[in-house]
Amino acid sequence: MELVCEGIAHRYGALDVLAGIDLAVQPGECLALLGPSGCGKSTLLGIMGGLLAPSSGRVVLRGEAPASSLNPITYVFQDFALLPWRTVAGNVALALEHRGLSKTEMDARVADALARTSLTEFRDAFPKQLSGGMRQRVGIARALSVDPAVLLLDEPLSALDAQTRDLLMEDFLKLWLASRTTSVYVTHNLQEALRLADRICVLSRRPGRIKEIVALDLPQASRGSPDAARRMAEWAEHLWHLIRDEAAVAEREVANVR
Amino acid sequence: MSDRPVEFRGLGFAPQPVRYAALAAFAVLLAIWEYAGRAGLVSPIFLPPPSTIAKALADLWAQGLLLRHLSESAYRLVFGWGLGTFVGLAAGFAMGIWSVSRAIGVPFVSALFPIPKISLLPLLILWLGIGEASKVATIALGVFFPTVIATYAAIDAVPRNLIRMGQSFGLPTSDVLRKIVLPGALPGILAGFRISSSIALILLVSAEMIGAQYGIGAFVLQAGNLMLTDQLLAGVVILSILGLAIGTGLGQLEKRLLRWR
Amino acid sequence: MFPISRRAALAGLGASLAAPAIVNAQAPAKTSVGVLRLSSSGPVFVAAERGYWRDLGLDVELKYFTAAQQVPVAVTSNDAEFGVTGLTAAFYNLAGRGALKIVASQARDEKGFPLTAYMATNAAYERGLRSPKDYAGKRIGITTTGSTFHYMLGLIARKYNFDINGVTLVPLQTLPNMQAAFKGGQIDGILAPVTLARALEADGSGKILAWAGDETPWQLGALFTSPRAIDTRRNVVERFIAGYVRGAADFHAAFNLRDAAGKEIYGTNYAETLSLVARAVQQPTELVAQGLPYIDPQGRLDVGDIYAQVAFWQQANLVTREVNARDVIDLSFVRGHMNVPRG
Ligand SMILES: Nc1ncnc2c1ncn2[C@@H]1O[C@H](COP(=O)(O)OP(=O)(O)O)[C@@H](O)[C@H]1O
Ligand SMILES: [Mg+2]
Repeated sequence: MELVCEGIAHRYGALDVLAGIDLAVQPGECLALLGPSGCGKSTLLGIMGGLLAPSSGRVVLRGEAPASSLNPITYVFQDFALLPWRTVAGNVALALEHRGLSKTEMDARVADALARTSLTEFRDAFPKQLSGGMRQRVGIARALSVDPAVLLLDEPLSALDAQTRDLLMEDFLKLWLASRTTSVYVTHNLQEALRLADRICVLSRRPGRIKEIVALDLPQASRGSPDAARRMAEWAEHLWHLIRDEAAVAEREVANVR
Repeated sequence: MSDRPVEFRGLGFAPQPVRYAALAAFAVLLAIWEYAGRAGLVSPIFLPPPSTIAKALADLWAQGLLLRHLSESAYRLVFGWGLGTFVGLAAGFAMGIWSVSRAIGVPFVSALFPIPKISLLPLLILWLGIGEASKVATIALGVFFPTVIATYAAIDAVPRNLIRMGQSFGLPTSDVLRKIVLPGALPGILAGFRISSSIALILLVSAEMIGAQYGIGAFVLQAGNLMLTDQLLAGVVILSILGLAIGTGLGQLEKRLLRWR
Repeated sequence: MFPISRRAALAGLGASLAAPAIVNAQAPAKTSVGVLRLSSSGPVFVAAERGYWRDLGLDVELKYFTAAQQVPVAVTSNDAEFGVTGLTAAFYNLAGRGALKIVASQARDEKGFPLTAYMATNAAYERGLRSPKDYAGKRIGITTTGSTFHYMLGLIARKYNFDINGVTLVPLQTLPNMQAAFKGGQIDGILAPVTLARALEADGSGKILAWAGDETPWQLGALFTSPRAIDTRRNVVERFIAGYVRGAADFHAAFNLRDAAGKEIYGTNYAETLSLVARAVQQPTELVAQGLPYIDPQGRLDVGDIYAQVAFWQQANLVTREVNARDVIDLSFVRGHMNVPRG
C-alpha cells in the first residue's frame, strides 16, 4: 500500500514542530526518516498512523490491504509498549483478541509470529524476565501477527545497546526482506538508515521540514559487499554533511531546554 | 613489603531478612510487660499485664461472646468496605478517564475527605436509622474517599503509551479499559485497599457507636466507658489481629494478582 | 505544725459552723479538683469564687474536663487530687480497685427537682408509652452502658417490678446521636437531661413522661479523692471538704428551698449565686436556672444507695465482683450520712 502525506504541519501549543511535509511512501519500500532528536519524527509518525490529528494537512492511504491484514497500519514502538502483566504470547495475542478470530487461527498467528522472531521458547515469560532486545522482538512479533500493510517503526532499536542493536537490525532486515511490507523507519542513527532503507528522508531541526530525500539504489542484501563499500561511503559522507550541523544545533537546543 | 591479606571492610548496610527477630522482640516485650505488672511496677488499672488481657479474651470466648462480636463486626466491615470500595472504584474510574468527571470530582473529594465521619453520625442516624444501614454507611463513607483517590491516581499512573499502543492495534475503548487501564491501575488500587481496609477497621468503632449491642467496636467502647482496661486492651488486641489478618490476606491477593511484578 | 488544722477539722464537722477568715502566715497548700462545667459542680465554683478554700489556707486549682468519665481517671492518674462527678459503673471499677474513695456528696435526684427526664417519642406515646413503667420491653436510648442513665433505668425497673433485661438499651454514646435517633423515631424513648428534654418537647419531637427525681430519688454524684491523699495529706483533705461543704451549703440555701406546695423559693443570694454558677458553666442564667440540682447542704451521702448502685452494676456484670461498696466510701469526713447500712 502507499501512504501519502499532504501538507502536514503540526504544532503543540506555541511550539511549531512540523512544517509543510509532503511525502509519499511507495508500496513495498522502506523509507527511513532521519533527523536530530526533537525535530518531530515521532510526531510525524503518530500523524501517519492516525494516533495524532495534524494541525493541518492530511494523510491518505492508497490501495487495497491484503485480506489477511487485520490492522493495516501497525506500529513498533521505541519503548516496546508491552503489557507487563501479560506473557510474551499474551502480548502478541492482545493485537488479535478483538478481531473475532477462531481460537485455532489466533493460536496459529501467535505461534507463527513467535516462530519468526525466535521467541517460541519464551512464550510464557513475562516482559520483565526478558532483555531489551528480546522485548523488542515481542514488539515486532506483535506487529507481524496482524499482517500489516504499512509498518511504522519509531526508533525501534534506540533503547538497545550497540551490540544488541546490530544483531536485531540484521534479524529485522531478514524479516522485512521476506515480506517487503511498506515501512517507515524512524531513526536518528545514520548506520541504521543506511543499512535498512530504500530511501532516506532527512528532516531539518525543529520545525521539521524535508531537507532532502536520498534514494539508495542498491539492494539491501548487497550493501555489505566490498564492491558496494565506496558508494556506501559516499552516501554516508553526503548524509553526514546534511545532518551534522542540524544535529549539533539541535543538541545544543536540547541541552538548553534541560 | 610482606604479603598481607586485604581485610574485609564491607560489613553492614545490606538489609537482609532476619527471621523471627520480630517475634523474639515481641516476646521479650511481653515478658517485660508481664513482669512489670506482677512486680507492681505499674498499676493494673493503667496497664493490665498480658496475662490479664489473655484472661479477658478467654472469658469472652467462654461466654460465647467473641464469635458474636466478631460476626456482627465482620458483617459491617464486609458490607461497609464492599460498598465504599465499589462506589469508590466507579467514581475513581470515572475521574481517571473523563476530564469532566475529574473536574467535578476532585474539588468534591478534597472538600469532603477530611470531614471526620464521626461528626456525621447524628445525620446518618436521621437518614438511615440506628440499624445496620447507618453503621455500614459510616464505614462505606470512610472507605469511599481514599478509594477514589487511589483509583484515579492509579489510572493516571498507567503509562499513556500503553493506551496509545492499544488504540494503534484497533482495540475498542472497552477493551482498552478492561485489558490495559484496569490491570495497569491494579497495583495502585490494591495499595489503596490496604489503606481503605485499615480505615474501615478504625471506623468500626465509630460505626458501632450507633446503638450497637454487639461487635468488637461496641465491646471496646463499652470497656472504655466502664474503665475495664483489661477488656479494653483485649478488644484492641482483637482489632489488631483483625488488621493483621486483613493485611496478610491482601498481601496474598497482591502476590497472586501482581505475579508479573 | 499547722495552726489551722484544728480549725479545719472543726469546720469539717459541720457546715453550719462558718469557718472564720484566717490570715495564714504560711504559704497555702496547693491542691486541685477535677470538675465538669455543670451546675451539679456548683459547690466547687462557689467555694472557689467566694474564697472558702483560701480562708482555710488552700490554693485550689480547678481542672476542667469534658466527660464524666475523665474525672475519676484524672484522680486515679494523679492529675487532680479531688474530683466531683456523677457516679457510673466506670467510677466503681476504678474505685473498687483501690484508686478512689468517696468522701462527700454531690447532686442527688430529689422530688421536685427536674434534672433527668424519662421521654417517649410521639409514635411510642401514641402506642401507649405513657409512663416510665411502660418502658418494659421497649427500646430506650442511653449514652453508654454503665452511665447514670443506665442506672436510672435500673431504678425504674426495680420500682415498677419489671425485668431490666427485657428493655433493649441502645447505647448511642453522645447526646446528639440520641437526639437524632429520638427525632427519627428509631427508638421508643430516651433519658435526657433537663435542657435537652425541654427543647425536644418544645419542638414537638416527643413527650416528657416523668422526672427521675420524682420517680426514683438517688445519689447522683459525689466528691472523691484518692486513698493516698487521705493517708498522706489528711489535713488537706479535711480542709478541702470543709470549703466544699460551705459551698454546698450556699448552693443549697440559694437554690434548694421549696415552699409547702413544693414551689421554688428564691433563697439567700439567689441571683448572685446563679450568675456565679452560670459564669462557671458558661451558659446563660435562664438555662442554668432550669436545671439546678438538689445538693445536700452538709455534704451527706445516701450511703445505702451507693451500696445499691454497686450491687446493681455487679448484677449486670458491668462492675467486677471484687468491688466492695464499703471500701469505696470513707465516711469519716462528714457527719450524719444517711441510710448507712449496718455491719
Ligand atoms: N504532547 C506534546 N506536547 C508538547 N510538546 C511535545 C509533545 N510531544 C512532543 N513534543 C515536542 O515536540 C517536539 C518534537 O517531538 P518528537 O516528535 O517526539 O521528536 P523526535 O521524535 O523527532 O525526537 C519536541 O520538542 C518535543 O519536546
Ligand atoms: Mg521520537
